[in-house]
Amino acid sequence: MPVVEGDLSSSGVILLRSIERRLLDGLPSKVVLPDPLTFVDCAEDRHYGSREKLLFAYCDCVLHPELEQLSKSGVKYIQFSAPSLVARFRNGPVARDELTQLSEALRGALRGVRSRTGYHTFFGDASPYLPDLIDILPTDDIGFDLTQTDPDLLPNSSKGIIAGIVDSRSSYIETPNEISRRLGRLLDRSRTLILTPSADLQYVPRAVADAKLKNLAAARDRL
Amino acid sequence: MTTHVAFPTQEIGSLPKFSWRVKPFRSIPLGDSDISSAARWGSILGIKDHQGLLRLLSKRSGFTASERRKIVEFSIRYAIGMQETAGRELVRDGGLDVVWSGEQARTEMYETPVSSIDGFEFIGRVRSFDNKYWRIASIRRKPSYAGNYHLDEFLTVKKYTKRRVKVPVTDAITIMAWSDNYYYTRLWSRRKVSPAERSFGARRDFALDVAKVVRRVIRELIEQGATDFQLDIPAATQYQTVEDAKLVAEAFNETTSGLDANFSVHSCFPPRQGYQLLFPYILDMKKCTRFSFEYANRDSFGRGVSEESRPGYSDLRLFREYGYEGELGVGVVHVHTDRLPSVGVVRDRLLYSAKVTGLDPGKIYANPDCGLRTRKPEVAYSMLGLVVAGASEARRSLK
Repeated sequence: MPVVEGDLSSSGVILLRSIERRLLDGLPSKVVLPDPLTFVDCAEDRHYGSREKLLFAYCDCVLHPELEQLSKSGVKYIQFSAPSLVARFRNGPVARDELTQLSEALRGALRGVRSRTGYHTFFGDASPYLPDLIDILPTDDIGFDLTQTDPDLLPNSSKGIIAGIVDSRSSYIETPNEISRRLGRLLDRSRTLILTPSADLQYVPRAVADAKLKNLAAARDRL
Repeated sequence: MTTHVAFPTQEIGSLPKFSWRVKPFRSIPLGDSDISSAARWGSILGIKDHQGLLRLLSKRSGFTASERRKIVEFSIRYAIGMQETAGRELVRDGGLDVVWSGEQARTEMYETPVSSIDGFEFIGRVRSFDNKYWRIASIRRKPSYAGNYHLDEFLTVKKYTKRRVKVPVTDAITIMAWSDNYYYTRLWSRRKVSPAERSFGARRDFALDVAKVVRRVIRELIEQGATDFQLDIPAATQYQTVEDAKLVAEAFNETTSGLDANFSVHSCFPPRQGYQLLFPYILDMKKCTRFSFEYANRDSFGRGVSEESRPGYSDLRLFREYGYEGELGVGVVHVHTDRLPSVGVVRDRLLYSAKVTGLDPGKIYANPDCGLRTRKPEVAYSMLGLVVAGASEARRSLK
C-alpha cells in the first residue's frame, strides 16, 4: 500500500521511463493507469488529511505532468482503470459531491492532454450512477463491466462506450455470436463502441486470454 | 493433557515444510544440509526414532511411493513435535493445546482438495498478485466426491498425539473463489437475468455443490473419530456484496448440515474495510462455535491494553456489538514478517481481546494470525513459542 507522507510531486517522466517506446514505434499505443479514486482508496494518507485534498494533489501534481508528457510523446490513448467507483460493497455508491470532485480533479489532470482518454469501471455494477456518469466524467470514453452492469441500462451517449463484454474472470470462451448477441441494443447507443474484456485478463491462463481476444475481434468484424 | 481453561492455544494454519519433505517430491536429490536439518530438528523436537528418518533419507534420491509416504509421516510427526514443544524454554507447560498436521500431508490448502474432487481440471497458472502465480483448476462439470483427501492425514496425526486434534478443511467458498468457474458460468449464460444476478447465481450454485462434497469428506472423518473441524475461508471477503457475505454463511451451513462435531471458522486477508464486510451475516453460521481471524498484522509492537495500543484488534468490537457469546480465535502473531513481538505484547493482545469483547478468557483462543508456511522453521517455532508463552503470561495476569 502506498503511504503518502509528504507533498506529492512528479517531474512527468515516471511513466515514460517505464515504457519501451521503441517497441511501440508506428503502433497505436495505449497506457493504462489506476484512476485517481482508486489511487486514493488504495493509499494510506498521513499527510493531506482529507480524501479531497489527496485527490486533487494526486491529479494536479502527479497525473497532470505525467499525462502531459505521455501525450507529447505520442501516446494515442490513456485509460483510467476504475474498480473503486463500482466495487464498493456496503459503502454504497460514491456520493454525488465526491463524484463532482473526481470530475474536477480529472479535468485538471487532463489539461492540455491531446491523447484520447477512457475511464473504465469494473468489478461492479455501474447502474447506480447511470445515466449521469457519462456526462459527469471528462474523458472521451466511459467503460462498463458488462458482466455486472446491464447493457440495456446504458443511455444514448455522444461519448464513446467501452463495452467490457467478455468475462475476464472465467475460462468460458464466449463465441463471436454470443458476444454480438450480448451487445444487443448497445450498438445504437453510441457512435463509438469499444469492445474489451470486462477487466484485466490476468485471471485466466494466457491461452484462454488469447482465445477471448480473438473472438472479440471476430465479433467486431461481424458487426 | 487437558486444554487450558483460559486462553487455550492452537495452530491456525500451515507450518513450513522441511527441505527433506519437499525435495523427494520434486525429484531433487537431498544434500548434506537437508539430512543434517532432519537430524538437528529431530533432536530438538524429541522425535524418538528420527534415526529411522535419517536412514531413509540417506538414499538421497529415487524414493519409492512407499518411502515418500514414510517421509510425509515423519514430516507430520515433526510438525506435531513443533506444536507440542513450542515455548517450553519459556514456560513450564509448553506446547499448544490443539494440534494438527501443519499441512505436511497437503500440497497446500487449494490444490489438495481440487485434485481430489471430480469435475476439476487444472488449466494453467494465473496471477494472484504481483509476480505470484498459482495453478488454477477449472470446474468443468458438477463436482462430485472422489475420495477422502484428509483421512490418512487425520489418522496419522491421531496416532502420534494425545492432544486435542483438529482438522482444517478448505471451505466451499474458497474452492469456488480460487477456481475458474467454467461450468456454472456456462449454465448461467443462457438465463435471462441481469448480469449481476447471472454472475452471483453461477458462484452460488458452484459453492453449494462443492459444499456437499466437503460435507461428505467431513462426515467420514467424524465416523473415524474426528471431533474438531476448522473451515478455512480466506476468500470470505473476496466478493464484496451483501449477497456474497450471506453466501459465506449459507455455504457453511450447507457443509455442516446434519453433522455433529465442533466447527470453527478461520479467515484472513480482509480488505481495507476489515471483517465488518461479513457482519452480521456470518453470525448466521448455525454450528460455528469459534471465529478465528487475523489481527496482529495490523497491530503495533508496543505493549498496552488500551484501544490506542491495540489498533489491529478494533474489529473485535463487532462481535460485542452484535451480541456474540461464542469463542474467538485471536491472531496474536503477524506471520508475514520475521519480526517477533515480545511475550508481553502477545499477552496484552490477549488481555485486550478479552476486555474489548467482554468474553470469558476461556473463550479466547490464542493462535498465529494465519499459516506459517512462508516462515523458516526456526522463525515458525519461535512464533508458536510466543503464542504459548504469551497465553501463559495472560493467564498469570488474571490471577
